Amino acid sequence: MARAIELAISGLSLGGIYALVAFAMSLTISTTRILNVAHGVFFVWGGAFFVILSQRLGLHPVASIAILVALFFAFALLFQWFIVRPLLGRSVHLLLVGSILATFGLAQSMESALGYGWVTWVDPYPVFASSLVLFPVSLGGVSLAGSRLVILAFVLLMVTGFHLFLQKTFMGKGARAMAQNFDGFVVIGLNPYRLSMILFSLAIVATAISGAFYVLAVPLNPYEGLPLTLKAFTVVVLAGVGNLPATLVAGAVLGTAEVITSQFFGTVWAPAVSLTLLFLVLVVRPTGLFGKGVY
Amino acid sequence: MSRLDRRAAPITAGVIALLCALPPFLSSSWLLVMFLSFVWLVITANYDVLDGFLGHVNLGQGAFFGLGAYVATILLNVPSVQQLGALAPLLVTACALVVAALFAAVMAFPLFRLKGLYFAIGTLILIFLLQVLALNLTTLTGGSYGLYIPPSFFMSTFVGYYLALFLAAVSVGLNAYLSRSRLGLAFRCIKEDEAAAGSIGLDLMKYKTAALVVASLPTAAAGVLFALNSGFIDPGIALGVERSLLPPLMALLGGTGTALGPVFGTAIIRALETVFFHYLRLPVPSALFFGLTLLAVALLIPEGLLRSPRVKRLRAFRVLAS
Repeated sequence: MARAIELAISGLSLGGIYALVAFAMSLTISTTRILNVAHGVFFVWGGAFFVILSQRLGLHPVASIAILVALFFAFALLFQWFIVRPLLGRSVHLLLVGSILATFGLAQSMESALGYGWVTWVDPYPVFASSLVLFPVSLGGVSLAGSRLVILAFVLLMVTGFHLFLQKTFMGKGARAMAQNFDGFVVIGLNPYRLSMILFSLAIVATAISGAFYVLAVPLNPYEGLPLTLKAFTVVVLAGVGNLPATLVAGAVLGTAEVITSQFFGTVWAPAVSLTLLFLVLVVRPTGLFGKGVY
Repeated sequence: MSRLDRRAAPITAGVIALLCALPPFLSSSWLLVMFLSFVWLVITANYDVLDGFLGHVNLGQGAFFGLGAYVATILLNVPSVQQLGALAPLLVTACALVVAALFAAVMAFPLFRLKGLYFAIGTLILIFLLQVLALNLTTLTGGSYGLYIPPSFFMSTFVGYYLALFLAAVSVGLNAYLSRSRLGLAFRCIKEDEAAAGSIGLDLMKYKTAALVVASLPTAAAGVLFALNSGFIDPGIALGVERSLLPPLMALLGGTGTALGPVFGTAIIRALETVFFHYLRLPVPSALFFGLTLLAVALLIPEGLLRSPRVKRLRAFRVLAS
């Protein structure tokens, strides 16, 4: 029983991170129709920079997170200006192909830059792991790593933030409007470039910080970005694009399914879980298990 | 035959004759570069059947390549197949083609329920799924250690050059045929407006399935050639993601939906790749620059060289872009 609870908690915290990363992705896909293949790479970069700041430079973890936010906000602005802006005006087919190729190119160069830079300047062993020890919690025979609980708390905080942003603020309403009808959004005189800048900043910063929290519990390596994008996309498709509550459920389902698969069939089969799930859902219900996006 | 066709035919024949006469003058490493370029050209041209003519972004083209390579290699390791001697490569090629065609036909049903972005991702999953299978079904595929081809079945690069050139010519020829035949017209109808195409009586599923099956065959054959020439395959070589993602890039760079677009795109990307990875001794990894090149191409040439208005204005290119 204790083992089952431990598995559930680690599955939930893993799934919570997936859900958060996936929701950030879904926010940008549903509004701008740009598929950002480099999304998972931002996650890995977030984790790597957190390790550099908090361990190599010895900064306080909270200060490191604050620097990460500023750094990735700047990244997001560049990303919006050089990649999103030129793509936004294209027709549907060209936008799709262009966004996949451009962001794949970006992902590849970011990955190799990180892999090379890390090995050359930081550590010959390319694994990003945090040695930050967080209080272990023991409850009636169930021992929990403190990092898992910190991750869960972070996920809850971010999800509440996203929910309030989308429901209560003018910008959030704008995002929902853009997702429902892009042409209508432009016709009534709103500026898709400005809104996409805000959405991509939110998405990229949230993803990078998720990476920082993730390395508290699980080590990352430089080449995990692309598989992670695919995993995030699995969650997006499972849940339906732009559906926040369903994204959380789907993330938890995927995380738990992976933990259980690794436990019983070995870790080599864990990647097959998300792929098979994704394929089945795509084929059976292309709009997602929970219907189309409502936010 | 239009006026442009009449002018294009001798040029095409001349280029193919030139390529046929080339091998004796090439060093072994350049022969290999050319062989691999033809293999890429086959995948790119086949990719363009779905993208350029049918309007579906198929990121699973590499799956057929890997499937062909794996089927051939696995079969060549079976003793009773090895006893066939010179017939064995023919037999395994036939088997690889049949398996790829069956795979395409079976996958067409679920995949073509999807559209746009979802079709792209659905097809991309194929290659990842095959990768996981190849890694984990170790008794069949050798897992991450890969599989060797028995040395007696190795194919020299010289022979491979001509076979790959033939396959590439067939693939480009197929696209040229599509750009001026009834079948191609039906494909383009579906690309422009599926609902309209369906309402005038085109059987959408039939045409889409046909396109996917036809596009899978030369790619699978190219996979067989690649495996026979390299003598060794593993999941990273035969089923790497770049097998699925580079062809769209090459086709896009050259211009999709034109017979010669893939040729130009493949030539340019392969030249860049060869220069970056073999000639420039850069202090930082080549993949970095290669990634940036992809980024620049996708942003600066949205519709591809042969379709770009600036290039179309040049008279010489009007013949090519037909």
